Amino acid sequence: MKPMKKVIAFLLVALLLLPGCVSQYANTVNKADPTAAPAQQAETKTETKAETKTEEKPGEAAPTEAPAREKQTLQVWYAVSGTSGDKFVAMSKAFDEGNDLVDLELSYSGGSADTATKVSAALLTNTQPDVALMYAGPLYTGGRNDYAMAELVKRAEYDVDDIFPGMLDYCTYMGQGICAVPFGISTQVMYYNKTLLEKAGVDMTNPPKTWQEFYDLCADLLVKLGGEGKDFTAFDVSDAPWLFKSMLKQNGCEIVVQGDDGKIKPVYNDAAALEVTDFWYSLVTSGIMAAGEHDNAENRFLSGNCAFIAATSNRISRWRGATEFELGAIEMPYFKNPSLALGGNVMVILTDDPQKVEAAWEYVSYLTTAENNAEFALATGYLPIRKSELNNPDIQKALSENALYSIAFKQLDYTFAYTHFEQMGTMDSLIRNMLNKLEKNRGTSQALLDKAVKDLQSEIDEG
Amino acid sequence: MSKPADIQPMRIRRKHLNGYQWYVFVMLTIGALFMLFPFVWMILSAFKTKADVYAYPPRWIPSSWQWENFTKVFEMIPFWRYYFNSIVTSVIETVLQIVISIFAAYSITKLRYPGKKLFLAFMRSSLFVPMVVTMIPMYLLVASLGWLDSYAGIIFPQVTTAFTTLLLMSYFDSIPKDLVDSAKLDGCGYFRVLTRVIVPNSKGAISTATLFSFLGNWKSYTWPLIVTTKTEYRTLPIGLKYLMQESSSEYQVMMAASLMAILPVLIIFIFCEKQLVRSITLTGMKS
Repeated sequence: MKPMKKVIAFLLVALLLLPGCVSQYANTVNKADPTAAPAQQAETKTETKAETKTEEKPGEAAPTEAPAREKQTLQVWYAVSGTSGDKFVAMSKAFDEGNDLVDLELSYSGGSADTATKVSAALLTNTQPDVALMYAGPLYTGGRNDYAMAELVKRAEYDVDDIFPGMLDYCTYMGQGICAVPFGISTQVMYYNKTLLEKAGVDMTNPPKTWQEFYDLCADLLVKLGGEGKDFTAFDVSDAPWLFKSMLKQNGCEIVVQGDDGKIKPVYNDAAALEVTDFWYSLVTSGIMAAGEHDNAENRFLSGNCAFIAATSNRISRWRGATEFELGAIEMPYFKNPSLALGGNVMVILTDDPQKVEAAWEYVSYLTTAENNAEFALATGYLPIRKSELNNPDIQKALSENALYSIAFKQLDYTFAYTHFEQMGTMDSLIRNMLNKLEKNRGTSQALLDKAVKDLQSEIDEG
Repeated sequence: MSKPADIQPMRIRRKHLNGYQWYVFVMLTIGALFMLFPFVWMILSAFKTKADVYAYPPRWIPSSWQWENFTKVFEMIPFWRYYFNSIVTSVIETVLQIVISIFAAYSITKLRYPGKKLFLAFMRSSLFVPMVVTMIPMYLLVASLGWLDSYAGIIFPQVTTAFTTLLLMSYFDSIPKDLVDSAKLDGCGYFRVLTRVIVPNSKGAISTATLFSFLGNWKSYTWPLIVTTKTEYRTLPIGLKYLMQESSSEYQVMMAASLMAILPVLIIFIFCEKQLVRSITLTGMKS
């Protein structure tokens, strides 16, 4: 190897080591590992707990009154990262430290699709976690005819009546019993670049209510700001199928219906769906929305190259104070009736060991108290799940100080949960493909809708 | 005083550049810049502030050089542990892959035995099976062997790859049969033919296969994620994914992590470059 190459290799290694040395201090601090709980930490924690227990309860009588509960170690997989992941880990650790009888081993399980694969594989080999925070959780409990959660939520400490009804629906499988618990639920919010709109002289004191009003506003904006950048668009959406399903519901389309035989039948190719699809296409043809650019929508919005974006409510915590422009939000426009599909995660208990189920329930109950969930909601931008959370002083303060929260929380009045069924992931994928083709003018609205419905029906029939 | 022989090559080069080769030179330069652009962008972004990253029109040079982006990576994930795991698993996987592929490619190209064609067809067809199809059966296998949360569970299911074998086969095929026969006449057995004739004459191809193999293993994400739940065994791509997924607004941190993540690949490339270029040149001559 020539000397120059050696020098380059040396420099590369040095570059790698330098930041590591700088962060030596950071590493010496006992940092929480966001993606997994090391066994050593768990061991240390157990010892500490044992000591604490002896210290705190010196005069307590011997446990003769009730059978001693065995200490349980719960495997917890979670599919949230970043701010949400850090907050979830912090809350879980707080529970762990305050509970002598339950130890948690937390493990980041990747994105929603990765977690689905991981959980599916683990269920086949009986190596599943005891608890999981994941998207489409009911598929892995209700889908296996496991409705133990339906009994657990009836317990007094949970106060199921306090949960928003739409969120409980989100925790059912095929419209049957509750088989998950809402946690980390979100909905889409229409964010906008306030600085840009003010520059264009657009008054947002009376924001557009319907999609048609929104369309007119965006068309006007294009005229005023079209020269801002070559790629400037007035609107985009990061998760197109999610918004499309909300729009379908707003226009009176049921998306899927459940027949008398209990089978799911997709119906998103009716006249109401066609109107929505045609409107979607008009957004592209008028230049309001870019064709097939949804994956890049958030970056374009953050770079000031897009005025409005429909994105998940948990961006409130992430984007607040992080943008170079002032961030605003309005309620999502609608067609006939305001309606928004819920999304996000739920908590499921996957163990069937009675002792572990009890321990898992204790953990889940802790996370979903009004106080704790309000804390999680404010830190992450996920929605409150309990009506009583809205009376929480911190939530009240956030609502008065930050309009973004008030928009997200106000939308709770008209959210809905779509039916969880085995092929719901396929449905989203088909809708995504359909919209992509529509935006690129690769078929008529009706033909594309029909194909998406037919393909889903075939998938359902094949089981 | 310079000898005419020393000056001549420079004159020839200048003459060529004065002619039509200027266009070739310009085109290649543009192509190289295109290829380098994302890399340069990544390096610069790793030192930018968040405002710089999202600025429009884009800010090419950071307004202030943020070394903190690198320290943030270490604060957000156990980077060194992941790095160590990635190196251990990638190196072992690569070594095993190359050894197995060399044997497989040698047997297919130079040996005669019943069922060879069937084996080859079977191996080629495995290229068309997506990983997602084999993932659950592989997981079942690994779980039944008790290899979940272990290096073995990450490494062994990934050591057999048809691609590396086919890559080596295409090169082994070009080694003259006479050379192998001569070695046999000199008393070499199958193994010695492989180690004394085939491997020494295929260094370029093996380097290329090593580089490809290491790259694939280094960025492998889904399988290590599926079979591990503990930090002790998790690899770098899982950590990068944690940074990327929900912290997508922290591009500068992601870029810093990505920059550090590619360094081993760059080092491997520096070591393999000579052999790699030679391999490409020889492949070109063959065709």
